[in-house]
Amino acid sequence: MSTNPRDMPRREGAFEREPARRVFASELRECRYQFKEGEDEKSPTFVLLPTGERSNRIFIVGTLTEKSRQGEQNIFYRGRVVDPTGTFFVMAGSYQPEAMQQLARIEPPQFVAVIGKPNLYQKPDGAFMNSVRIESITVVDKDTRDLWVLDAAKQTLDRVDSFNAGTAPDVIKAKEQYPTIDPAVFRRAAYDALAQIKM
Amino acid sequence: MDYSEAAERISRKFSFSGQAVDVKKIEGKLRRLVDEFGVQPQEAERSVTNELNKEFNIPAAGSGGGGRAGSTNEQKKIAEGLPGDWVTIEGKVVALSAPASPSIAQSGIIADESGAIRFVAWAKSNAPAMAEGSWYRIESAVVDEFKGVPNLKIHSGTTIKEIGEDRSLIPTPMPIKDLHTGIGAVRGKVIQEWDASHERMLQSGLLGDETGTIKFVIWKEPGREKLVVGSVYTIFYAQIDEFNGRLSLNLNTATIMQEEGDIPVSGGESEVWGSIVHIAPGSGIIKRCPVEGCNRALSRQNYCPIHEIQPKFVYDLRIKGWLDDGEKTHNILIQRDVVESLTGITLDEAKQIAENNPLGMDEVFLQMRDKVLGRYIICHGREIDGRLLVNECERVKFDASEHAALLNRAGGAS
Repeated sequence: MSTNPRDMPRREGAFEREPARRVFASELRECRYQFKEGEDEKSPTFVLLPTGERSNRIFIVGTLTEKSRQGEQNIFYRGRVVDPTGTFFVMAGSYQPEAMQQLARIEPPQFVAVIGKPNLYQKPDGAFMNSVRIESITVVDKDTRDLWVLDAAKQTLDRVDSFNAGTAPDVIKAKEQYPTIDPAVFRRAAYDALAQIKM
Repeated sequence: MDYSEAAERISRKFSFSGQAVDVKKIEGKLRRLVDEFGVQPQEAERSVTNELNKEFNIPAAGSGGGGRAGSTNEQKKIAEGLPGDWVTIEGKVVALSAPASPSIAQSGIIADESGAIRFVAWAKSNAPAMAEGSWYRIESAVVDEFKGVPNLKIHSGTTIKEIGEDRSLIPTPMPIKDLHTGIGAVRGKVIQEWDASHERMLQSGLLGDETGTIKFVIWKEPGREKLVVGSVYTIFYAQIDEFNGRLSLNLNTATIMQEEGDIPVSGGESEVWGSIVHIAPGSGIIKRCPVEGCNRALSRQNYCPIHEIQPKFVYDLRIKGWLDDGEKTHNILIQRDVVESLTGITLDEAKQIAENNPLGMDEVFLQMRDKVLGRYIICHGREIDGRLLVNECERVKFDASEHAALLNRAGGAS
């Protein structure tokens, strides 16, 4: 058994917050694989993006096109946030009271910035469903939306490039989990998204 | 149960290091721990080994202990010695420091051309006293780690021989950003002097070069003098410790030379780009303790953790949050004037809102959150304890040339 301090974590309590990945709706929609790092109840859950990156949190900016209040006892809100490539399904329940109040006050359509946790469900008919549990949602302007499209396009292209390089463990995992997906489609989606920004 | 095998294993470990141990005695100790005290056999073996380590003044070696025993007495450069190694080195005693405990006969720093290491000679080791400035050959000493810093232990099995000649030895200063725990040489300028936080402290402050800054401390000791703010020094054999994840230079063992002239210094500034993904509680308008030099944030009940209830508090603005670039999330703390320019809400306006609104200070928090959350900004500031203290920040603007470059990149390969 090792008692060498070098084998232990550098500093106890040194907290690393999970970064918020930039992902287009068309890529998040393809996720089919979710996993947990570690055995602990509080270990983070990750959705594996088909471009070979794990994601515990995402940052998206798009148009909130619809929202609806649901549930009788346990109220929760659902919404649809649209980006140039597709639709994100977002939700906030009573476990996210702040996010729920934020969403409740927004009248669609509006540009919104959403920080949230991606979640993968399987419906009874076997179909997969990706939704985003909102941590926070705020109304933003079109400039922020355009900046996000640049940001998401750049990070998507970065992921496609490292997928093609093919050495990272999560890339290898993605190749196993998504054997039929060609990441070139995400490069194409990034191009289409960029092309929609008017100069 | 049979303990002879475990006892044999332990005695072998110690005979490698030249210590004779009684196998029967070890066996007895193991039996006692396991049979009488119900200790797991593996744990018993570990505890007996540790007990013997203590007896022979051998520091509990790291993972390598027994496995690396083959390297005993191998002559090494100081920089190559890893914790757990048994080494023989030749070096110059470049500093001696006052022993921290009566069980230590001598402590200080020994150096060769590859580097330097702290050493400790135990009182029990009966080692001959070494003189500062002389060269010695030290055989069969052990490298271990103390507070995360490699340390050479001189125990009863160590032999020390003085080397008559004086070889030349000039360490090369390292850029501050490349320093790591251990012993190091730097060339830097004293850019700040701080109030002494301890009565034994002679001086503390900040030393900088063009690559970064580092805290330094000098403890009160005869012959130690304060450094002059604004002067440049070349410092050899300073101890670099880590405290709360931050490096700090202890100059008590160091050789310090003041230099003429000036050098450029980095303010430790860094720049972080990203979107604000979280605004933490305690952001917005806050109350601070008015006691001179305190300035702590008060609780809602105007309670200061040190000075208790303070009805004559001072208002301030700040934003605590996380700035995220998609790869890494940075903890940021934005100071008042930057909060004002970022949110467009001045301290006076915030006071008005807080005093005239049913939600009070929460209303300021909510308004500020809605103005900055999810926005792209670039922050400039100093990073301290993993948190960026932002003294300047700007909103990111849409860059048409970046847009064009990305279109090319996305379209180019398909």
